[in-house]
Amino acid sequence: MASVHESLYFNPMISNGVVQANIFGIKDWVTPYKIALLALLHEMSTTKPMALLDRRRLNKLILPLQQGPDLTFEQLLSTVEECCAPMVNAVKLRLFLMADRELQDMEHFFAILPNAFSDSEAYKTSVVGLYMRQMLLAYNKLSFSQVYKLYKTLQQYCRQGQRPPRDFSTLAAEDMELTSNDDPGADPMDGEELDAGSLHQSDLGCDEARGPLSQKQAEYFLARQAYLLKNDENKAMRPATLQEELNNILKFNPDFAEAHYLSYLNSVRVQDLYISTHSLLHYFDRLILCGGEGKSNGDEGYGRSLRYAVLNLATLHCRFGHYQQADLALQEAIRIAQEANDHVCLQHCLSWLYTLEQMKGSDSVTLTEDSVKMAAHFCLPYLASLGVQSLVQQGATQGIPANRLLDALRGTDVVHWKQSLSELVEISLAQTASIWRLYGKSTMAQQQVQLLLGMASLESVNYGVQQNNTEPFAIALCHLAELHADQGLYGAVGDIIKHLKQQFPSHTQHSKLWMLCDLKIQFEKAMNSGKFHLAEPHVTAIGALDSMEGLYRKAQLLRALNQMSEASKILQQVQQLGVKKRNTEMIIRVMLATAELHWDSSGFSASLPLLLQALTLTHTHNLQSLESETILHLAFTQLMLGVPEQALALVQAVLESVLAHGALLKKGRALLLMARCQAVLATSAPEELRLGKVEMAVQTLAEAAVFFTQLGCKPRLRDVYYLQARLYHTLGNVQERNKCALLFRLLNQELPPGSSIAATPL
Amino acid sequence: KPASPNVLPGAVEDTRNMAATLSGEFADLAQIKKQLISVIAQCKERGLVHSVKASELAFSLPSLPLDEVPPALPLTEEDALDLDALCLAKSYFDLKEYDRAAYFLRGCRSQKAYFLYMYSRYLSGEKKKDDETVDSLGPLEKGQVRNEALRELRVELSKKHSAGELDGFALYLYGVVLRKLDLLKEAVNIFVAATHALPLHWGAWLELCNLITNTEMLKSLSLPDCWVRDFFMAHVYTELQMIKEALQKYQSLTEAGLTKSTYIISQIAVAYHNIRDIDQALGLFNELREQDPFRIENMDTFSNLLYVRSMKPELSYLAHNLVEIDKYRVETCCVIGNYYSLRSQHEKAALYFQRALKLNPRCLGAWTLMGHEYMEMKNTSAAIQAYRHAIEVNKRDYRAWYGLGQTYEILKMPFYSLYYYRKAHQLRPNDSRMLVALGECYEKLSQQIEAKKCYWRAYSVGDVERMALLKLAKLHEQLNESDDAAQCYIIYIQDIFSCGEQLEHAEVSTALRYLGQYYFKNKLYDEASLCAQRCCDYNDAREEGKALLRQISAVREQGESSSTDLSLPIVFNPLSNTTTPVRRVAPLDLSSVTP
Repeated sequence: MASVHESLYFNPMISNGVVQANIFGIKDWVTPYKIALLALLHEMSTTKPMALLDRRRLNKLILPLQQGPDLTFEQLLSTVEECCAPMVNAVKLRLFLMADRELQDMEHFFAILPNAFSDSEAYKTSVVGLYMRQMLLAYNKLSFSQVYKLYKTLQQYCRQGQRPPRDFSTLAAEDMELTSNDDPGADPMDGEELDAGSLHQSDLGCDEARGPLSQKQAEYFLARQAYLLKNDENKAMRPATLQEELNNILKFNPDFAEAHYLSYLNSVRVQDLYISTHSLLHYFDRLILCGGEGKSNGDEGYGRSLRYAVLNLATLHCRFGHYQQADLALQEAIRIAQEANDHVCLQHCLSWLYTLEQMKGSDSVTLTEDSVKMAAHFCLPYLASLGVQSLVQQGATQGIPANRLLDALRGTDVVHWKQSLSELVEISLAQTASIWRLYGKSTMAQQQVQLLLGMASLESVNYGVQQNNTEPFAIALCHLAELHADQGLYGAVGDIIKHLKQQFPSHTQHSKLWMLCDLKIQFEKAMNSGKFHLAEPHVTAIGALDSMEGLYRKAQLLRALNQMSEASKILQQVQQLGVKKRNTEMIIRVMLATAELHWDSSGFSASLPLLLQALTLTHTHNLQSLESETILHLAFTQLMLGVPEQALALVQAVLESVLAHGALLKKGRALLLMARCQAVLATSAPEELRLGKVEMAVQTLAEAAVFFTQLGCKPRLRDVYYLQARLYHTLGNVQERNKCALLFRLLNQELPPGSSIAATPL
Repeated sequence: KPASPNVLPGAVEDTRNMAATLSGEFADLAQIKKQLISVIAQCKERGLVHSVKASELAFSLPSLPLDEVPPALPLTEEDALDLDALCLAKSYFDLKEYDRAAYFLRGCRSQKAYFLYMYSRYLSGEKKKDDETVDSLGPLEKGQVRNEALRELRVELSKKHSAGELDGFALYLYGVVLRKLDLLKEAVNIFVAATHALPLHWGAWLELCNLITNTEMLKSLSLPDCWVRDFFMAHVYTELQMIKEALQKYQSLTEAGLTKSTYIISQIAVAYHNIRDIDQALGLFNELREQDPFRIENMDTFSNLLYVRSMKPELSYLAHNLVEIDKYRVETCCVIGNYYSLRSQHEKAALYFQRALKLNPRCLGAWTLMGHEYMEMKNTSAAIQAYRHAIEVNKRDYRAWYGLGQTYEILKMPFYSLYYYRKAHQLRPNDSRMLVALGECYEKLSQQIEAKKCYWRAYSVGDVERMALLKLAKLHEQLNESDDAAQCYIIYIQDIFSCGEQLEHAEVSTALRYLGQYYFKNKLYDEASLCAQRCCDYNDAREEGKALLRQISAVREQGESSSTDLSLPIVFNPLSNTTTPVRRVAPLDLSSVTP
């Protein structure tokens, strides 16, 4: 549950477009690609008779070509070919005419270029017309040497297109030959020579392959990688390769500030505090320059980026868990934002402030409420609903009535869909699923999870990735796995965990979620089947991921191993932790476990007040699953205290909800308990009814046995057989009795000898 | 004869010891001179300009009698064959027509001609690169302009290298090519090989020095055992900010008989500048200017010193002098920039630093100084830009990091500036200014414990501005830790008086005022009255001093005796002259000091 909120501190500013604004006041420059595009346009306007369909397809092609990154000649040609085959040859011819002859031909091309458009449908102010004029202007500005250089690059561009694609080693080898022709005597196959040669080849090949990216290409690259990092980390480049690529970009253009930002994101990905801080600060140092130069926003933009710089630094420290540092940075951001009267920035600060408070474990409801109010006032839907979601999360743990929470979520959902804040929709769904699970409504939780998983991405631009690498998805899948585990479908669980492993490799941010979930399931499985030695290593692993949970599990294991005093000590510790962290769920679970410890020492009456206390807590917090659990515990205590009628009444009261929502184990346990009550009651029943009652108890036991068999819960199954055998004995059904006794004996041999009969009271 | 240092990979040696000892070859200066003369001739034949350093050194040594002047190296068969082509090419080379020179050398076989051939091609590429930068095709291409010749050169040279056909000069060129291609590891290896092949060629050493980033790397190199090595080590020590070791090395070099070398004098002066020993540095620079009045090199450093000392007339004289010599030199522009800055004409100063950068965009000092000027003009964004550029040129430039920190501090972002100050502190761990700046930031962030640590550390490493203790004391005062505050004030007063010179910002009166009150509160009336009397020597504390004296006499009349609690720190004890700070220090006898 707590993990839902973690997704909130994936920098909200990226998606809000605050930092996204890319300030590139770069004018267009003529590149060979653009010449090729001009040639295409020229051909299109001069070739009059053309199939209508072809023309339409070409027209549709123009805009993406004009605005996209530079393509290689080959790529361009193949794109055009898809639309209109004859056009390819025309363009090719024109370019080769330019490239294979002399500089004068290119000059000529630019000279005749405007004529083609003067009488065509391309107006001066149309997209094509503007583009053409821009290019002409840019071309005319070039000095002679620049024109010559352009011509040279054009030649290269065309030649690359002509040549069949080759791998780089041959290219480099040719390079070697080209340059080493003055030394024909050297034998290239000489051993040592070869060694040195191959080394150089790879270096040179590398150099050739990379080359510097053009401005547009670099921008495209950065935008794409940033998008992938946010939405589907696995499809992005490996951290090391990405960093290398970024370094390459920065080497050629140190002023390319966005690359620093991506480097920051990338190093956060691999948890590298040093480089991420460095890159972040570098980015903002650079951004400050851009802001200073931009005349439109002038000083305002400059100050603004300063504020966001500090805020980002705060988020960075938050990410790495340096709460004190984050606090200091946040205070600084708030101070300068206040001085500048920047309410939007203040709102961001506020939302971070409550997040930070929450992460530190202190109460932040008032702050959050303020934040929501202010955000609504300044029309910041993202922050407002983020606040609401955070409030809902806190409310859920603090026992706010369910209807209010769900109402609040529904209210924000409307906003999300209106503003198409897909990220928040996902969080909302995952949160609803978590809340339903907390309340013990497994079907509702499952439905929400399925809804989230089945939802198509809302992003208008997606690079063919489904947005399924975010935290809500991880949480939803974990819920799904646990729900399946509850029903004993371990095969499905394995599949889900495998998928999680693929989607969120262990080095990524959200991998802890599924690791914990996986371990918990493994632990439960081992405990259920009575293989305590298997459960032991899981306890340590769980403790590493979540200390409180780990302690709780340790206590459970110790109890199973009959080390009561240690278990009790640890439970006390967990109780204190739970109170400190206000984890009501854990507090109740500890109470139940402590009650069980009392049972083991036959202190049934001592466990009653604890259980009653737990019951009140579950009531106030709407934790129905835990409530039924507590009632079952109460019923067992009563049974042991000799009031089987009361016990049976209690069990029957909760049986419906247990059978509807509970896990297999719980269903089985409830039925077993009911059978016990029935059996006890049968002994005191009048003679004529006794057999009928025993019969009923046997039936209930059979039902319980089905659940336990499904789950593979052998210790309990053994108890069931034992009881069944005894009851059959009373009934005088020798054959059935012997069968059950045999089954019992088989199981008893299989299980460790330490756990004697009826060691599992409930 | 001292054992020559022999650093092998993995050998752990105390650098101090290394710094003190010299190669044994310094015993025979005449031999050194001979070697110098021959290497100068070789460099000249190959068009290498680094020989100027060797000439400087040779000039400083006593001249040789005629019969001992080394003859020119004998010509080989190949040399004779190539002689005409070489002669022609060298002329073209001198006229900077590199392609033409390379063309006429293409068929030559001798080592000399081969070097000149490759070197002309390299220089031609560099020249074209510089020309291209002016008219590139787009903003991204700016950084893409490359020396196209480099890759071809590398391929050819690597072939020759693996065949073992390269001499010392060619190895040097190979190294340069590799360095330009950013293949630094290979470059280091080649430069080491070059120094082994021809230890006298200073250029190779110099390139190697630029590639050495830390002491570990220096220790891991196996360098030839030659007297040039000592110069190299001294140079590296200076670059790595190991000033003490560098000074020791230079000192022993001068003692070995190279007293007249202007090179060594300038290097020592720069070293003193780096450790902010201003008087020593100034003296040396003045000596340098006497010996070599038309020298422009290092004069920017000299001007920095004059600037720090606010010596306006001297700086003005220097600026005029340099403008007369050559006004289109980076150093000249920097000197003029400093001059204007001292006259508070910051716009003009920035203009001159910009001019310096136009002349050499990789001139580190100018970027930083320009940043300072923009700071003065309150143009923070331009300042940040300038500092960032400086860092790009050299990541180890602590002044730029410090400047960035200051800029953000001015923008009231103390937490943000912490990062930059920390960077600067990392680079200069023993510089009190960074520590004081860090302390101030922490104080602004109400992190008193960290602030205290910073101030105390600043004092411990030798406080340059003598502000750390005062700030520490005030911090203690704020936190109501009166004992500690008094302690700090006491050490502060001792410090101020023991250093002798009067500092403008000295706040002795504040310290005395506090101490007076402190003793008074602790009923040490004798000490209190002494402090109060001292207070009366200062205008701003006179009234309070008098008031305190009256209070003391009033209390004494009531017959309350002075406390004899000796656990309190007392200022006016006999002096025990400890320079290392100890928390409970026995302080100086103030009564002998007349402020």
